[in-house]
Amino acid sequence: MTGKISHLERRRRFDALVRELRPELYRYAFWLSRSRSVADDVVQEALLRAWKAFGDLRETGSTKQWLVTIVRREHARLYERKRFDTVDITDYEEEIAATSDDDPDLGKMRQAIFRLDDAYREPLALQVLLGHTTREIAELTDLNEATVLTRLHRARHRLKLEMGIEPEDGPGDGS
Amino acid sequence: MTGNDHVTGESSRDGREPNDAAFEELLSRALKIDVPAARAARTVTRRPAPWRWAAVAAGVLLTVGVSVRLLQDYGYLPTGSLAGDVVAHIHHEPGAVRIPVVSKGDAVAAAEVSAIVLAGGARIEHMQPMVRYAKLCPFRGEQVAHLVVQGEAGPVTVLLLPHEEVDGPVAVDEDGFVGTIVPLDIGGSIAVVGQTGEPLGEIQSEVAAAVRWRL
Repeated sequence: MTGKISHLERRRRFDALVRELRPELYRYAFWLSRSRSVADDVVQEALLRAWKAFGDLRETGSTKQWLVTIVRREHARLYERKRFDTVDITDYEEEIAATSDDDPDLGKMRQAIFRLDDAYREPLALQVLLGHTTREIAELTDLNEATVLTRLHRARHRLKLEMGIEPEDGPGDGS
Repeated sequence: MTGNDHVTGESSRDGREPNDAAFEELLSRALKIDVPAARAARTVTRRPAPWRWAAVAAGVLLTVGVSVRLLQDYGYLPTGSLAGDVVAHIHHEPGAVRIPVVSKGDAVAAAEVSAIVLAGGARIEHMQPMVRYAKLCPFRGEQVAHLVVQGEAGPVTVLLLPHEEVDGPVAVDEDGFVGTIVPLDIGGSIAVVGQTGEPLGEIQSEVAAAVRWRL
């Protein structure tokens, strides 16, 4: 009986967690892959793995970062090494355009983010979307903090150029 | 990017610049793409009335039900019915069967099909029907090859299921989709499903003869 209650409690906690964090995980996976279908698959697989390991999770405070790590790993495992799906920028620009509202700046910004190099787009998503600190991003991406900070800075610099905003601090990438 | 990947100019400690509130607000909104409605619906929080034991009990049951459904919907828990999961998976990717007939030029390249099938734990050679869709998909907790081949009347879904054992042929007949899950001599099974009226015997035989599980 106790075992069943414990299992149900675990399931209830996991369900609550998924309901709370799935939108953020989906968005993160989308900006990693630039594909809704890939994001969907990655999150599905990540949640499967998370569910299997959920019983061993002790620190609930770090659950979000734990799930983000799993999503990142699943993306790398499924879609970076094997490269089954090629990225067609036209398709995804259409996909982004279809999700934008009537604000032209919003659509323009999304396309600019879409065109960022992976190295710049990911830390930006981790920081702005998921609220990670520079240190947390560094730990997750296996970079040092200075590099993360540089990439965040350059990502914004490039976005500003694309948006027609004059950056305050020069070229931003040493060029 | 240069070899030196560090900022030497002025910037705040988190890469944000001062006086950029409007830019940051737009950036934040842009990253928050809409999450598909079906998923958003699952995020609705239940609202139990805590002073009523019956309501609390109902809330717990609802939570358990939603959890199981959620796990099933996203492919990491079986529903208990293999046939039902096959049809649910077809519904999950409606684009795969949207085009009724394709020409040879639209077929998926053999190399791409091979790569996906291989990643799904199988090999397949010399299959006659044109493959018009091929993808690696999560299915009942495993990554499986999901193919759509050209049948006589329209698209036919083929799922290669090395991890699914069935004792004998299992009929699929749900929501206008009919077919069979066939056990293979080498273990595992294949699901071959088309729309009502589609002759499936030949495709089923060809796939069953061509598929080998990867060791």
